[in-house]
Amino acid sequence: MQAVLPDSDLFAEPEREVVQWIALDDPQEWEEFSHPHGGSQSNLWESNLVIEGMHCAACSLNVEHALKSVEGVISAEVNASSERARIIWSADSTKPSDWMRAIVRAGYRALPATDTSLFEKRRKEQRLALWRWLVAGFCMLQVMMYTMPAYISGFGDMTPDVRMLLQWAAWILTLPVMIFSCGPFFSNAWRDIKQHMISMDFPVSLGIIITFGVSTAATFQPSGWWGQQTYFDSLTMFVFFLLTGRWLELRLRSRTAGALDDLMRRLPDSVERQNADGSFTRIAVRRLMLGNVVRVLAGESFPADGTIVMGETQVDEALLTGESRPVLRSMGSAVIAGSHNLNSAVLVKVEQLGKSTRYAQIVALMERASVDKPRLALLADRLARPFILLVLLAAAGAAAFWWRNDPGRALMAAVAVLVVTCPCALSLATPAAMLASAGFLARRGVLVRRLQALEAFAGIDTVIFDKTGTLTSDAMHIVSTAVREGVSAERVLQTASAVAQHSMHPVSRALVAASKATMVDTVSDVKEVLGQGLSANSEYGQIRLGSAKFCGLETLPADSVQLYLVDEHGWLASFAIEEDIRPDARNAVCALQEAGIEVQVLSGDRLQAVQRVASQVGISVVSSDCTPQDKLSHLQSLQQQGRHVAMIGDGLNDGPVLASAHVSIAIGKAVPVAQAQSDFVVLSGKLILIPQMLIQARRTMLIVRQNLIWAALYNAVCVPLAVMGWLSAWIAGLGMALSSLIVILNAARLARSVEVI
Amino acid sequence: MDILFLLIPLSVVLVLIILGGLWWAVYQGQFEDIEQEGSRILDDD
Repeated sequence: MQAVLPDSDLFAEPEREVVQWIALDDPQEWEEFSHPHGGSQSNLWESNLVIEGMHCAACSLNVEHALKSVEGVISAEVNASSERARIIWSADSTKPSDWMRAIVRAGYRALPATDTSLFEKRRKEQRLALWRWLVAGFCMLQVMMYTMPAYISGFGDMTPDVRMLLQWAAWILTLPVMIFSCGPFFSNAWRDIKQHMISMDFPVSLGIIITFGVSTAATFQPSGWWGQQTYFDSLTMFVFFLLTGRWLELRLRSRTAGALDDLMRRLPDSVERQNADGSFTRIAVRRLMLGNVVRVLAGESFPADGTIVMGETQVDEALLTGESRPVLRSMGSAVIAGSHNLNSAVLVKVEQLGKSTRYAQIVALMERASVDKPRLALLADRLARPFILLVLLAAAGAAAFWWRNDPGRALMAAVAVLVVTCPCALSLATPAAMLASAGFLARRGVLVRRLQALEAFAGIDTVIFDKTGTLTSDAMHIVSTAVREGVSAERVLQTASAVAQHSMHPVSRALVAASKATMVDTVSDVKEVLGQGLSANSEYGQIRLGSAKFCGLETLPADSVQLYLVDEHGWLASFAIEEDIRPDARNAVCALQEAGIEVQVLSGDRLQAVQRVASQVGISVVSSDCTPQDKLSHLQSLQQQGRHVAMIGDGLNDGPVLASAHVSIAIGKAVPVAQAQSDFVVLSGKLILIPQMLIQARRTMLIVRQNLIWAALYNAVCVPLAVMGWLSAWIAGLGMALSSLIVILNAARLARSVEVI
Repeated sequence: MDILFLLIPLSVVLVLIILGGLWWAVYQGQFEDIEQEGSRILDDD
């Protein structure tokens, strides 16, 4: 067999992108990220791009210059904070690959923005939230100005008409807060009522409406049974605090979403299709049809399920099956979409496309599994119903108490109870703590995609790790070397790695990485037999490097992959090679076990490989050779035993389990669909962060409980006072503000670092 | 103190006008890219 040079050297990263841009020049692709600009005759297009690599405001101007210098680009606007560019260009005089190239020459990366409508929607949502918050904040300030004189004036300082004037002014400025800023609380509460549920928004809305109603009545009819107290200042402040929490939550969510979008964004997949005359044209994958023959280069992913019709190569299927070793695929063997071509270009006949590929089937399994995800009732929402009941009971009790002695005050006492039992602290308790924790984790490289997952994470008792890519990293390394007597181990390693240089196999790369000496090409005439080994001429004569069979040796049982080197006289050296286990895996597992968590491994790889890794990191419960379906049923049987399970994985084959686990964590460079199903994404891939996340989640719930207890105490003290009529309005208002402030300050403690194990 | 009957309604109107200004700023995107516009003045063209 002829030596196959690693093709991928010819396609270093920037060059590969140029190849991919050509697919963008196809007008059928334009609709994805552009729309016609102006009249149809002008042939002008408006395109949206995402620019990567901008670090400061001035960078955006550089990109603008680069774009405008391309002939045919009419205008370009680059926004630094959203990393978006909008360019208008003429299809008569330029094409997308031209201006894409200009951006890369300026030193930045550009990708077509296919999610413009989603982006616009998010921006609209953010502006609305900011606007609601500003209205509440600004009105609150002014309402306080109008209320202040009543607090500081002595008896008789203010004439009744001035007092009334100030109350009217405060009422007018409370209106925008009620009508506009409180909108989300009311609509959420209404939605919950229609679904026969009660969430925290219901007591909040009820409190707001009752307080506003009583204050309005007191403003315009001070002689009524409701008394003359107005609470506009407490009301606007309460709304402002709640909206501040929601605004921060929205910002955090959109930042997280933005960071995830960055990970998922890529050029449209393209592939070389064979034309009738045997030549190749690069087209977008979505335009492939059954029966097409495509050329898949080394380093590319297979676009569809199919059969190899020419050539042979090694394929990395780790993301789909969890198998850590590359597998050899030659003429007639099947390849699956989403797996990675490692060595050399092959021709593949397309047999399954889109929804019928193995890849799409796993994604479909994942979507079905996500429906089964256990939903925990959130602590705060569980409290909403008893809270409402207690408040109504207390109000009824107050009315009943006064009815016997002084019927005129009965209704007033009931209203006082309803106003004073503000759910403010109660409704802030959870989001404030979760936000503080999410911010803390984000600074350490953990994205929290679902705030409530922190609550679920605090309650887990089992953690399941995937092996390939999660406990191990992608690389391999040499653990031991044995050489023939009288031969220098170092020289042998040098020669072996000089040979290995010519191969893309992960084992060869481990060999190359191990030889630290400068690489001298002392070998010649290197030939590779794919999946078996290499032969070459060297200072030791004709040598072979590879599996035992390839080298003509007997296979000995061994724990790890053995790589042999033989010369004309026989065995020369052997290298034991193992997967790289992430350096912090053992500590992370140990810390989890100390925290009382049972740790398991669930892998699609062979039992031997899984057990070796598991024993090294200290995990005893192991399942191997699992298909994605097996993994899912394993998880479901654990869940049926009443376990609360967190799944940690990276591959597509982990997707269904991630979707169905109580808590799911995607590691490092996990495939986008797996990330889309995860509650947390550990960007740095550091496993030691997982026990830290557990500690943080537990601390968060501790703080949440403290906050809830505090809120309950405040209400427990206030209600009897209000019933007796001993609580004046301004004390109640101050109490509300203070209790909210205490809750927020207590939550802020979570943002501080703690001693980590 | 009669002046209060003019000044307080006036302050309410003023607040509403300022709110209008804030509305304009929010929906013009004035709060969305705070860094970039400042450096545009240093740009050569």
